[in-house]
Amino acid sequence: MALGKHSQAMHFQARAGEKIRNPVLQAALQKARPLFVGKRVKGIASLAEDALDFEQLRTAAKNIRNRTLADLDVWLDIFEARATASGAEVLWARDGAEVSRLVVDIARRHGVTKVAKSKSMLSEEAHLNEALAEAGIRPVETDLGEYIVQLAGETPSHIIAPAVHKTIAEVEALFAKEHGRPLETRTSADIPAMAREARAVLRQHFLSAEMGISGANFLIAETGSAALVTNEGNGRMVTTLPKIHVVITGIEKIVPTLEDLATLMRLLPRSATGQSISNYVSLLTGTKRKGDQDGPEKTVFILVDNGRANLLGSDYQDMLRCIRCGACMNHCPVYFSLGGHAYGWVYPGPMGSVLTPLYTGLENALDLPHASTGCNQCGSVCPVAIPLPDLMHRLREEQHERGLRPWSERLALKAWAWIAGKPALYRWLARRVVRYLNWLADGSGRIRILGLAPAWTAGRDLPVSSSRTFHELYSARKKP
Amino acid sequence: MRLALYVTCLVDLMRPSVGFAALRLLEASGAEVFVPEGQTCCGQPAWSTGNRPLAIDLAKKAIVELEGYDHVVIPSGSCTDQIRNIYPRLLADDPAWGARASALAERTFELTTFLADVAKNDPAASGFNGCVTYHDSCKGLRGLGIKRQPRELLLKVRGLRLKEMPDCEECCGFGGAFAVKFGDVSTQIVDRKCDAIAATGADVVVGGDLGCLINIEGRLRRRGDESTRVLHVAEVLAGGGAC
Repeated sequence: MALGKHSQAMHFQARAGEKIRNPVLQAALQKARPLFVGKRVKGIASLAEDALDFEQLRTAAKNIRNRTLADLDVWLDIFEARATASGAEVLWARDGAEVSRLVVDIARRHGVTKVAKSKSMLSEEAHLNEALAEAGIRPVETDLGEYIVQLAGETPSHIIAPAVHKTIAEVEALFAKEHGRPLETRTSADIPAMAREARAVLRQHFLSAEMGISGANFLIAETGSAALVTNEGNGRMVTTLPKIHVVITGIEKIVPTLEDLATLMRLLPRSATGQSISNYVSLLTGTKRKGDQDGPEKTVFILVDNGRANLLGSDYQDMLRCIRCGACMNHCPVYFSLGGHAYGWVYPGPMGSVLTPLYTGLENALDLPHASTGCNQCGSVCPVAIPLPDLMHRLREEQHERGLRPWSERLALKAWAWIAGKPALYRWLARRVVRYLNWLADGSGRIRILGLAPAWTAGRDLPVSSSRTFHELYSARKKP
Repeated sequence: MRLALYVTCLVDLMRPSVGFAALRLLEASGAEVFVPEGQTCCGQPAWSTGNRPLAIDLAKKAIVELEGYDHVVIPSGSCTDQIRNIYPRLLADDPAWGARASALAERTFELTTFLADVAKNDPAASGFNGCVTYHDSCKGLRGLGIKRQPRELLLKVRGLRLKEMPDCEECCGFGGAFAVKFGDVSTQIVDRKCDAIAATGADVVVGGDLGCLINIEGRLRRRGDESTRVLHVAEVLAGGGAC
């Protein structure tokens, strides 16, 4: 798959170490974590005000998504027909490269020199900004977080909070440089002023861009519309001011009806930011009609496969239910130890640990399915009940089945399992191990450096409390 | 009632006192307690690494050893989860073994669940002088719904005060092979757990899974905390942990 070349997922271990030793990043993450968790708790609690129950609602949401995926081709056909009837054009892209080709082609045909973009993770999958720049077209990210990330020359580290890894001081340095003004000392009280500053700059881009590009949180089959869930208002600018609007989204984002959308919308903002509803929810249908004050003259939907269709009917189909709320990463102890960039591709955290190997190749992301303690905090908050640890586990099994695990691990496991199958030998060996550990501890009750597991004792001691195994002591006790 | 105590490989190797404490608690509940001879490991390391064939071998071995008892009790949420939730899945394609796995799963209980919900007896009338904080292990909490049971039992112990830590349901970063594969990430996670424990000012951290406890104790000691005790819930309930 062409995407593999951009993925850094094979360098997870090395990147993880870097991220842990970066105090600026750690400060940013430790500040953000309780906010995400706390907001979601409040958001889910607010369901009670509408006499709704989270578990019931997420079962309903899961069922909607499953029902849609079961007949995905049918719903996509209906969407295409309805969207076309309302004046939009529907294009299909097999992979990221095709997305870029289609967008650049549309831009060239219409003499576009600048594109205003609202948030789209799929454009990250496609490396669209690079492709546009290569074609001499300037892409301008207009989501505040994406704008910051673009100025820094980085990629988003979180699917709904792209610049969560940045501190205020880092953002201030970027703004001062880009906006051509002296550097100032900033605190969190200055965030509104900094946002206003970015808004003034972005306003000019909204007005001068000939093309707007957005993602879609959902596609609604019955109306042929895209639903856009945003908080900053930039999404509305991008989708109404430029003459051309291109929507890029995955084929799995479709839901049959507006009623289904309403159910999912009860969960999406609450799971993501804790809001009962986001500041803006836009339903975008067709093109500017006679009498409309604004709206694009041309609307193009690019519906992207990029590996999604392969998951249909596979062990991983549940993953296609994902509505990209970010709750899994917000509750992941690994994500909040490292930030998103450690994961090496577009999607971080638990959903990324499942999607990256599936979309870029199992052999290109060997660590990711193992980069989880199996705590299932992700699965328990997922608004569409995706069993994320089970999917990561299935990927581990597939690595084993395809001979992708290191020979040392396979051999060690095999030897251990062989011994564990022979109780007498196991007992004898256990006694030796315990005595060895006890000798290493040398009466201190702990081992500080254990050659057999250096990664363990690099960060902690190994407590040693007994010079005998349980079974040894138990059989001694039984004998009179 | 014939009851099997499955001590777990970790308790066998690292902390026999937990096994003896569990034994005392179960005997006090009036059951006839056996420690099946051939028991070694439930196979979780093979399962979590993705090695299904080895996990199946060890699951079958455990089923043969344990299926002859009325109940199986395990002082670990993680190993109980393996038998209750994973064995039936592992053997689902094999009708005969699948049925045996499901039958065993239904009769297998984590220790505090067994004491609080099945045996329903008060813990040995021992006292414990100190303030404890309870760490909810992930597999026990999210896999088996263990939350109320250990607290209910602990609060019946004379002299024991319970002070909850912030984020007591957060993972400690152990994760079995995870702690060895990604040692530095694991350390980062357990550091947050240690901070949460320190914030309570409790004398003792208590939990139901030895893996988590060894991880937490190892990090506390490395950070220079020599005073906070780390005990398995069985040790506290049975009276301090001497064997």
